Amino acid sequence: MIHDIIAIIDEYWLLLLIGQYPNGPLGGLANTLILSALSIVIAFPFAILLAFARLSKYRVLRWPVTVLVYVTRGVPLLMLVLWSYFLVPLLTGADVPSFLTMLTTLVVYQGAFLSEIIRAGIVALGPGQMDAARALGHGWFGAMRYVILPQALYNMIPSMLSTFVATIKDTTLGYVINVPDLTFAASQVNNQLLTQPFQVFLILALTYYVICWSLTALTNVVERRITRRRAGLAAPRRQLSLITNATEQP
Amino acid sequence: MTASVSAPAKDQTIRLADVRKSYGDFDVLKGIDATVSRGEVVVICGPSGSGKSTLIRTVNRLEEINSGSIFFEGQDIHAPLKGRELNRLRSRIGFVFQSFNLFPHLSAVDNVAMSPIRVKGVPAAEAHEKALKLLDRVGLREKANSYPAQLSGGQQQRVAIARALAMEPPVMLFDEPTSALDPEMVGEVLSVMKSLAAEGMTMMCVTHEMGFARDVADRIWFIDGGRIIETATPDEFFKNPKHPRAQRFLADLRH
Ligand SMILES: Nc1ncnc2c1ncn2[C@@H]1O[C@H](COP(=O)(O)OP(=O)(O)O)[C@@H](O)[C@H]1O
Ligand SMILES: [Mg+2]
Repeated sequence: MIHDIIAIIDEYWLLLLIGQYPNGPLGGLANTLILSALSIVIAFPFAILLAFARLSKYRVLRWPVTVLVYVTRGVPLLMLVLWSYFLVPLLTGADVPSFLTMLTTLVVYQGAFLSEIIRAGIVALGPGQMDAARALGHGWFGAMRYVILPQALYNMIPSMLSTFVATIKDTTLGYVINVPDLTFAASQVNNQLLTQPFQVFLILALTYYVICWSLTALTNVVERRITRRRAGLAAPRRQLSLITNATEQP
Repeated sequence: MTASVSAPAKDQTIRLADVRKSYGDFDVLKGIDATVSRGEVVVICGPSGSGKSTLIRTVNRLEEINSGSIFFEGQDIHAPLKGRELNRLRSRIGFVFQSFNLFPHLSAVDNVAMSPIRVKGVPAAEAHEKALKLLDRVGLREKANSYPAQLSGGQQQRVAIARALAMEPPVMLFDEPTSALDPEMVGEVLSVMKSLAAEGMTMMCVTHEMGFARDVADRIWFIDGGRIIETATPDEFFKNPKHPRAQRFLADLRH
């Protein structure tokens, strides 16, 4: 059994790692990681915009985004993937690569989830911070950028890492629309071997497990550190903000 | 907006003209008419829920009003203003909150220096130097690099005063600045406020510290039920309050 697994890895590690590349499109684990990273990197600013819209006093901004968030959160990701796969080419008439379809779907899906986390993070700060910033003459965006978001996002780092883990798992659904990721590579291997599905998919599961487990472990470390810092036990870093360098001395 | 209300004379820093505000059916401010002259210290007092916080928050438009006008240096704060114009006006009105509202992600000196840098475009080095001077003035120079969570309530409120002063406002508003403090820390905050008054700062203070009112206030506004029902010098107010509600209020405070 262990023997079989080692033999499979020995034979197919490159396929599992990068897919058909350079003879075909990049695939395998590399593509899984790229897809996850790209979707979280795009979903994040998108989520901030969605959160702003949800918190807006203007109905025209608030309502459509609220509907989007509720629909997205209420529908299984697989449905969204299939919709984008069949609907987007129908609507646009363009032949969209499956990678792009999956990326867009993940961005919308994770964006909707993250936006709720961000919104909660902002609301949790209470109105006093915004009041103080406005009273000093900051505009709404200035207050967000220098006062609200640095705090809200910092507090949310653990949630965002968890979302990243979830995204990695979610990329597996790209399999149904033939995104050449790790899952896709594993099933190719399985199709070639035919007799060892258990071994092949055990390798697949273990790989996902190791990646997600490491990230979860990292999340826990970060979370503990943030909790400690909030309690004022450790002196915070001089620069907590991800966005501003307001505090930098020349 | 009452366009007919003329702009105030030069020495009137703040003028409120028939200011009304309600939350739904509930009228919080029922027609406030008052002025604050340059260099004047006004203490606003009255029972809890009478509208003191609402009133003082309308002065820099942290609360909107339903009708009336509030002039600050001749400009109507509640007129339809461009965002930038309102921000500029607000930056000239210092506000100190009951709950301090320091920015917890910034050290004391950065709390003070941030807005001059980001709002006024003051060079960072200059803003930091000035911030240190202001912290020195409120007696907290040695806490410059501490974070709000590492400071006592009294220290946080003094940093908050320094933060407001950093924008060089001609007017300072205080909404119960000592109510959230342990008794032993009230004095340090009041003494900073007294020194500000002594330097000629125009101030509106909502406070129940009657010692402070007696020593520092030029005038006392007594608010009840959304109206200023008595305006008096501290002497008149404490010796001979005219309105029965003010008499009762003072009697309750003395208990
Ligand atoms: N956002 C709000 N919505 C509804 N009612 C409010 C709101 N803010 C204040 N009030 C009410 O307005 C009245 C005046 O409040 P406030 O100005 O805070 O009083 P004070 O500062 O004198 O204690 C209170 O009865 C309070 O319950
Ligand atoms: Mg109040």
